[in-house]
Order: sequence, then structure tokens, then C-alpha cells
Amino acid sequence: MTPSPLPRSLHVTLDAHKGPVNVARYSKGNAKYILTGGQDRTVRLWNTSTGAEIKVFAAHGYEILTLSVAHDNAKFVSAGGDRSVFLWDVATGTTVRRLSGHMGKVHAVEFNEDASVVASGSYDATVRLWDLRAQTRQAIQVLEEARDTVQSIHIGPATIVTGSVDGYVRTYDLRKGELRSDFIGHPVTSVVPTQDHQTYLVTTLDSHIRLMDMSTGKLLNDFSGHVNTAYRCRGCFGHAEATVICGDEKGMVWVWDLMDAKVLPPNPPPKNHYKVITWTEHHPTDANELITASADGTVKVWRNTENM
Amino acid sequence: MTSRLKRKLGELGVDTSSNRANENFCLIGTPLPPLEKTKDINEFVPLWKQEVRDEKGRRRLHGAFTGGFSAGYFNSVGSKEGWTPSTFVSSKSDRAKKKASRPEDFMDEEDLQELRDSRKLVDMTEEMDLTGGTQAELQQRNAIVNDEKDSVANALEATLLPAPKDSAGARVLRKMGWKPGQGIGPRISYRERKLQDLQTTNKKMLTLAEVKVTEEEEEASKHTYPRRDTPVLLAERKDNFHGLGYIPKAGLLDSLARSNAETSIGPKLSAGFGLGALNDAEDDDIDIYDNGYNPGKSRLAYDISQPEDDAFTIHKSSRRQDAGTGRRPNAARAMFSSGLPVLPGFVISETPAVEDKWYPGPEVPKGWTPNPKRVWDADANKENIESGVRKSEPMPYHKWKTGMTADQRGELLGETPLPAAPRSVFEYMSQKDRERLQSVSVSIASGSIPTATPPEIRLPCIEPQIAQAALRGFQPFTSDLKKQERYTAYLMSQADPDSKPPDLLKPLPGQRIDEFNKELEDYSKAANIFKPMSGLMAGRFTSAVVMEQGPKIHEGLHTPSSEEIERKEAAEKREEEKISPQQHAAKLGMYGAMTREVRPWQPARLLCKRFGVKEPDLPLPDAEEASTKAKADADAGQSWQEQAGVSVSNSTETPAAMEGETSKKPDLNNIGLGEDDSQGRDTLTYQRPSMDIFKAIFASDLEDSDDDGDDDLRKDDEDDTKNGEEESQKDDMTSKLFPDTSLKMDEGASIDLNTFKPTFIPRDKKSKRAKDVDGDGDEKKGEDKKNGKKNKDKKDKKKRKKDKEKKGVLVSFEMEEDGVCGLAVSAAKPKKDRKSRNDDSAGGEDKDRPKKKKRKEKKREDGEDDGMWEAKTQTAATMSQLPPSEVPPPPPLLLRSSTSVSSENDVEQRAQEIETPARARKRAIDFM
Repeated sequence: MTPSPLPRSLHVTLDAHKGPVNVARYSKGNAKYILTGGQDRTVRLWNTSTGAEIKVFAAHGYEILTLSVAHDNAKFVSAGGDRSVFLWDVATGTTVRRLSGHMGKVHAVEFNEDASVVASGSYDATVRLWDLRAQTRQAIQVLEEARDTVQSIHIGPATIVTGSVDGYVRTYDLRKGELRSDFIGHPVTSVVPTQDHQTYLVTTLDSHIRLMDMSTGKLLNDFSGHVNTAYRCRGCFGHAEATVICGDEKGMVWVWDLMDAKVLPPNPPPKNHYKVITWTEHHPTDANELITASADGTVKVWRNTENM
Repeated sequence: MTSRLKRKLGELGVDTSSNRANENFCLIGTPLPPLEKTKDINEFVPLWKQEVRDEKGRRRLHGAFTGGFSAGYFNSVGSKEGWTPSTFVSSKSDRAKKKASRPEDFMDEEDLQELRDSRKLVDMTEEMDLTGGTQAELQQRNAIVNDEKDSVANALEATLLPAPKDSAGARVLRKMGWKPGQGIGPRISYRERKLQDLQTTNKKMLTLAEVKVTEEEEEASKHTYPRRDTPVLLAERKDNFHGLGYIPKAGLLDSLARSNAETSIGPKLSAGFGLGALNDAEDDDIDIYDNGYNPGKSRLAYDISQPEDDAFTIHKSSRRQDAGTGRRPNAARAMFSSGLPVLPGFVISETPAVEDKWYPGPEVPKGWTPNPKRVWDADANKENIESGVRKSEPMPYHKWKTGMTADQRGELLGETPLPAAPRSVFEYMSQKDRERLQSVSVSIASGSIPTATPPEIRLPCIEPQIAQAALRGFQPFTSDLKKQERYTAYLMSQADPDSKPPDLLKPLPGQRIDEFNKELEDYSKAANIFKPMSGLMAGRFTSAVVMEQGPKIHEGLHTPSSEEIERKEAAEKREEEKISPQQHAAKLGMYGAMTREVRPWQPARLLCKRFGVKEPDLPLPDAEEASTKAKADADAGQSWQEQAGVSVSNSTETPAAMEGETSKKPDLNNIGLGEDDSQGRDTLTYQRPSMDIFKAIFASDLEDSDDDGDDDLRKDDEDDTKNGEEESQKDDMTSKLFPDTSLKMDEGASIDLNTFKPTFIPRDKKSKRAKDVDGDGDEKKGEDKKNGKKNKDKKDKKKRKKDKEKKGVLVSFEMEEDGVCGLAVSAAKPKKDRKSRNDDSAGGEDKDRPKKKKRKEKKREDGEDDGMWEAKTQTAATMSQLPPSEVPPPPPLLLRSSTSVSSENDVEQRAQEIETPARARKRAIDFM
């Protein structure tokens, strides 16, 4: 089975952000909408198919570096330079809660599966786990194992996977009560596990993306060719986890075959943004859609016209 | 209380019933008001009811917080209707009575008082023209000046401008009949007036008689005339800083030139006596001050009024004459040639002021730059710098100031010193005293402070132990390696007083000796400061933050030299080499076990709850965590029980490994012992009485040898442990270990173990042992026994179970029987075995069993249930101190078990033991 080709034709460009866009996330469910957060201190909600900007969420005082959407699309969290995590109500466009406690920029936030807990990873080298059910504003737990900025968090059903600039991917297993630290050796900017939580994809600042085995910590595949040495360029899986996609610092979107780690044509890929691509995310269900957010201030929605 | 006091007073001899003794100083209640009336009506009125009234009895402060609207009504206006004007008087009928109302009419006392206060003699606000005559006069003068202004403009001006105001003086004069333009004084006759005119014009002293009055003036002389106005000398205000008489913007030469120009014929010679017509004009005679003197210009009020004042300027010639006549020139009369009077107290100089001669400065050669240093350095002493002070160091001002005494200065200037009186207290002291003082001060300084001029290197001494301590302690100069080296060298030299000072302890090239001494001094101080604290104190403090650590910071713009860069690179390389194997593995891409690191991690309970995950049961990483966790966890109860069981089975003597837990937890063993673990140890470690005693007690009726008895004891031990093992279905390995342990125990057992064990020795075993001993080694023996016993045990069990079922009592002990192994339960074990064996071989060899024992056992079997009996022993075991009633003293038993445990190294075995007795223990407690 050949992996489905990457959507390469530009469907719509979302360019309302002033300044770099740091993050773009699909909504949950059928993922019709995306949320983007940028340097202009706003979070914007878009319809990807029409390219319409639905809402602007403005309460942050600093740039937004990360977003996460709750499972029911009713809420989302955002965080960034203002060192606190904002929990938003999508419908009203107001912040429901502001969780402060971090000492530095917050680079990563993530909901757990039922949005009862938010994890936030920060420049202060901690991951804070916030309880959204209780009224307390104190973090449930602070994971202080990281020795540098926590750049990426993923929460599984019973695991919390964090990637830190100190070169470690740390898997906190709640069920086993153990912490597995995998040393990657290069600053980790994003960790994306597969759906089955057997492997995870690590993007590091040595221009490599590695597929690691979750249970043993072994290297399964190594994807390279792109340029990623300074910025957080999130790599992700393609449709059905058959490919690995990553937008690089030159504005190109690279695709590798998951199995043989070969760059899928075109090689080199066309330049899609004229600045670094900060976030790449494939549509969770639709094989024909991909979004890229870039420092050039645009978010582009890519679709595959042939298949449509 | 009072009665006691009274009694005491009575004892002291005070009459308690006297009035004095019963005087009361307490005031109860409110005192009544004094009878005489006071003026203060507010005296007994509460504060909020008090009224304020003025001296006339009128009420002040009317409502609305001290009187707003009504205050005016009540206080000043005076009627309900408001203010009424003073009664109207018709001007028609009573014109004389008509009175213009003044502001004062409408004022109350306060206002009037204010007005009175503000009234002053002279109205300060009015502008007074005291010097310039009247305002009107000025205006007139202005009018003359502004002649060209047409009359319309003038009229307009006059109307528009405010009316001219005269000064107070002018007004007074006017009232006295004076008119502007006249002089002040009584009116004079025509003749007098004419004289006045003449005097002003001629400047000549005339008498009245000299004034001629012409015929046509006859008529005029019949009247009196006002005096001529004498214009006042207007002294200009001096608001600059020029010298007196100085004309700004005009140099001396200018003024001279002007005077020369005016007297174009030649230098104006001073007029007067003594200068003949034939005499040539000499320098002396030239009137240098005469610069265009015009007597007409002088309009002085006093010129005329002073008759003896000669109108001429004072000339040198006249002065000469004055000198000759001995008459001093009157200062008041002295005048400058310009006509200005010489200030009182000043004398006009005889010699004319000579201008300074100015010479052009020397030509500065091209390319010359000022360098004062060269001049200063030419002679060191030029700048009064002391030779001792470094030249590069500028002397601070205060030092310079204090450093130079008058004497020093005189010395520098080469003055012969004054035969000064002794200045210091020391100089009054005797030589001896001075020496003594010096020695005292030196001893105070402890010798570490060098004297003023140390020409040689002085090594400050510190005590060897301090030096040694400092060597071990904090190193203060870590940032400066060289200095550190020298510091250690110094310390070394001091630590070993016999050694010679090392080579390092020499002044650096370019370092002066006093600097070096200073450095050494610093070292000694540092050593004293940084020596580690001793003893108790050392443990209580942590050393402070390192002061001089870290990279040396270069000030300003610093370009690292190539050496530094190389060094840095080398350091980096070294760093790289130091990378961990983990990093190495990651570098090589060998991800996996090498790069993975697994640690236990305790998620927060709430987190687990939120994630819907059961809280993980973490393995206890170490004893401490275990203990803390045990406290928190629900499972703690169980583990606690286990641990408690262990310690019970171990009896009071806790093995080293268990120390941590037992000391932390309320151990059953420790109950009643308080905090003192060692309590009751003496009872536990007591020496077993010699075998003879036991023999005398237990083996009296038998011919058995000592050896046999001992063997039995040992045997028993072995059996116990073995039974336990077997029953818990351990593999052969562990059982194989037993011979070893038994051997060990044998060695130790001869002293204090098994003391009262003989009570429970089964006879059959003993016989068996006797048989075995003949041929077999220990191991074989053990195995044999194991085999044999297994069968027996099985049988036992069955039988026992049957018994239990039959009896239906104390089911709880079943477990104990099943799971029983060595240790505490072992006390029960042999008996069981024994019993079964007894059953097995009721007759036979059992005959050699001690009768006494048999009797005892019989009794027990008769009276009690097995389990009961076991439990009893158990309890006895726990309560190690309790004297047993029916059982032979338990302490030995306890001891035995404990030592057996401690002597066993096999952890597994122990772990097993730990578990089983715990349960046994529990039962025992239950039973109690």
C-alpha cells in the first residue's frame, strides 16, 4: 500500500495574523475548524474550507506559543509569553480560567482525554498539571525532571510524554508509576506519539526526525533531509500514520515514508512559505488536508485536488 | 486576706483598730458637685450638650456644624428680618446730621479690630517718590521733553493716565504753602535772592553788601520772595562692582586723551600758587585729574551754602602750600578734578597712577606641547612629595594636608628648627616608661603587624594547627591560581614550623617588599578566617558562598588572546571527551537500553483519579521511603504488621538491617520499653548458667552424658528450622544450607542458646540422633531426617487436623501449624513433633526419656489444647520479660530464635520467616 500523497495544492491562505503564527491546531471531532495562535497575541478560529475567520480571542498580553483544544471543542487552552495558561470558552470567547504558576514562557499545553487536566510545559523546565475540575488554582503536580525548556507535551490515556530541550523525551507512566527518560541527545522540539502509543515521533534541532519505540526506547527510523536547527518545527504523521510530515525552516514541507524513511517526491519539495514553518498538522481524518503555520504570518490550508 | 494582714500587722505591733490603719484610699461612686457656683455652665453637661458662648453671652456655633446660615443671623446681622440699614435721615431737614456711611458702620468688633490692626501710619501700598520731587513736577519735566507732542496728545495722556500722585512729603510741604518750583525755607528779600542767584552763577563768595540793587528793582525789593530752588544732587545708585569713580568703558588712556584733546593748547597746568610765569611746565604740575572740569556743571546744593569751601579744585601747588603751613587738607574739602568729593577717609594720591607695562610673551615654538610633568619630575622634591611615597600615586588631599606639619615645611624650606618645647606626652615620660609602653603596644599588635618601615621580608606567624586546618579548609584565592599557590606554600611553611620558607615565598619580580609583606599578612589573616570550624560547630554551619570563584572577569573591552582561546578550546575538547556513555550512545544512534533510564515516579493521587488510573503500587526504593510511605498508605497497615511480626519473631534483639524500621515504628517489642531500646537488654544477654545446673534439674535421673544433652539441643534446633522450611516447600538449596547454620549455631550455642530447651526435647529424636551420629555426616543426616520427618509431619498434620476438627477450637492456629517455620513458632514445633513421635513410638526407646519431662508434658497434654499451649509460649515470647507460669523461662527461647535469625545469611529464608511468624504473631495477640 502506498501512502496517500501529500496534499500539495494550496486551498486557502489565512493571513489575518500580524506577525509569525506559532501554532495551529485542528479542532476535535470532524476537525472543520482550526485555531491558530501567533505573535500578535491573538488566537483565531478559522473555517478551513472557506478560509473565514470566525473569531478572535484576544486576552493574552504576550505572544501565544501553544494551544490545545478540548475533546468536546467547547474549550481550549492557550499559553505563551505571559507565563500563564488561559482556559477559554470557545462560544463566549472569554477566558474561563487563568492558571499562573510558571516562571517562564509556556511552550506547550495539552489537555488530557476528558479535558479534566491540563499539562503545561514551560521555559522554567517544569511541567505543571492543572486540575480543571476542582476550584483550586494550584497545580496538581509539578514535574520537575526536565533540565531545560519543555517544548512539547503529549498526553495519552495513562501517559504524559514530554520533550525537552535538554535532549530527553520523558514518558511518565501513571499506571506503572514510572518515568522513562529517553535520551535523544539533541534539543527536542516536538514529540508526537502514534495513535497506538507504541511509537513516537521526535523532532530535534539536529535536522532529524526520529521514530522511537515507546516501550524500549529504540530508534526505529530516522528521517532527515530538511533543515531544522533553530526553531520549533513540529513534525507530524501523515494520513493513517503512513507518512511523516514536517515543515522546515526554509518553508518547505517534507514528506517521508514512515517505513523506509525515504523522502517522497518531490524532492526537494517546493517552497510553500517564505519563512520558517512553525507548525504542521495533518487533518486527523481527512487524507486530503494539511495545515501549515509559518513565521511569515500566514496559515495555509493544503488540499489534494486530484482526489477530491 | 485582710484578716491575715491584720494579724501580721498586729504581730508587728500596729494597732489594727486605729483610724489610721483603717484609712481607705478607695473612692467609690461619683463625687457630688461642689457647692459653690462656678461660671462654667457646661461643667455638668455632657459634651454634646455643651454650648459655646462669647463674652457677651451670645451663643456661637449655631447648628449645621458650628453655624452655617444662622451664624450670620444671630451673630452679626442682629435681627430676624435680616440686615437693616442705619436709620434714614432726610438730608432736607437734618442736613447736618447727615452722615456718610462708612465701611466701619457695617463691621462687627472682629472686623473693626482687624481694621485697626491693619491701619498703619504710612500706606505701604502707595508709591512714594522721595527723591524725584513731586510726581507733578516730573510730569512737567516730561512735558518739556516731549515738547514736540501736540497738545491733544498731552491732554489725552493727562486724562487717560491716572492723576499724578505726590509723595507724602510733597503733600506736607504743599500744605505748608510750598509750591512746586520754589526752594524750601522761609521767604527771603529780593537782595538775598539776588545774592543767591549771583552765587550760583559766579561761584564766588559775596556778601550781602556787595549785591547791588538797581533803582528799578527798588519796587521788587519791597517784597519777599521764595527761595530759589536748589536742585538736589542725584547720587546715582551704584549697582555695579566697579571701583569708585571708575567710568565704565573708558580706559585710563582714554580719559587722559580726552582731557588732552580738550586742552588742545598743551597740557593743562594746575593753577595756583607757586608756579611762576617763567617756570616751565613740569610733569608734576600737569593736572592729570583735570579732565574737562566744568564748574558750571557742578550743581551741588551745598556748594554755596558752605561759605568757607573754596570753589576751586585742590591743586598740588596749593597743597604744597598747605603742607608748608602745616594745615592738613580737609578730607571733606578735597575734591577730584572732576569736582567729585573725595570720600571721607581717603586722600588723593600725590603720584599719578602709572600704568603697568606689558611685554609681549615669548614666542612659543611650533609643535610644543605643554608637559608639566617634565618640570615636576626634574626635581623630585619640588612638589613636596615625600621620598617614601610612590611617585605614580598622587597624594590624596587629606594626606597632603595632614602630612605636612609646620616643622616639616620649615625643614623643607631649610629653616633652622625652633627650639620647640616638647610636644608629646611621651616626651615628659622617662625613657624607661617609654620603652615599656612600646613593648606593650608591640605585644598587643601580636607581632603580625609590621612596623612602619620593614626593610626585610617578614613572615607573619600563625599556629601550625591553624595553618593545617586552613590548608584543609576553604581556599580563598581560587580565582587567582598563582596567589593560591603562594597561599598554600605559605600555609605549608607555617604548618611545619621547622621547614624553611619555600622558594615560592619570595616577592614576585616587580613586587616591593612592603607589598609582599602585606600579601603575607593577608594570607595569615585568611588562614585565620578560613580555617574550618572545629568539632561541634563545624557540623552546624555550612560554609558560605564561594567568594572568588568563577571566571575572572576582564574589565572593559577585552580581546581574548590566542592563548586564552586555545585554552578554552582545549577545555571544550576535554568536556567533549567527558560525555557520558549515554550521550555517546545517542551520538552513535544506539538508542535503546543505553539511552533509556527508568525510574519510579509517583503520580499525584488526584492525577491518577483524573486520568482514571489506579494509583500505582510503587516498589519501595529504600527503607526510608518505605517507612514514609507506610505511614501514608493504606497498605501501610499490612506492611506494618509484617514488620512488627518480624521483629517479634526476632525478639528484642534487632538485627542491623532492621534497625531503621524498628527504631522508627512503634514496635511491639518496644511497647513498655519507652524510647530506650536497650532497656531489658541485660536480661536478654545474660549468660547461660552452666550446663550442670540444667543437668541437675532436668537430667538428674538419667545416665545420659553431657554430650548427648547438648546434641539433643542442637538437633532440636535443626529440626525446627528444617521443619519450617519443608512445610513452606522450599527447595533443597535452602535445606542444604542448614547444616551450615546449625554448625554455626553449635559454635555459638554452647554459650547462651537453648537454655531451657531441654524441656521440650523429644526422646525419640534423641535416640534417632544417636543412631545417625554413628555413621553419617551432617548433610546426610539432615536429608535423612528430612525424609523421615516429612512423613511424620504429614501424619502429624492429618492427625492434628482431625484433632482440630474434633475439638473445634481455635481454628486460627491451623495456619500457624501449616505455615510454621523456625523462629518463634519453633518453640511449638518440637513439641508437636515430639508428640507425634511419642505417638509413633509409644514404647520402645522412649523409656530413656526423662521422667520429669514426661510428667510435665503429660500434664500439659492433659490440661490444655495444643494450640493453647503454643499460644502461651508465643505470648511468653513476646512478653520477654514476663515470668512464665507453667513454661520454663522463655527468655532463652527468645534468644535462641533471634540468634538463629541473625546467624542466618540467607535473605530468602529470612523473608519467608518474616512473613509466617507475622501471622503467627497476630494470632497470638488475638488470643490474648
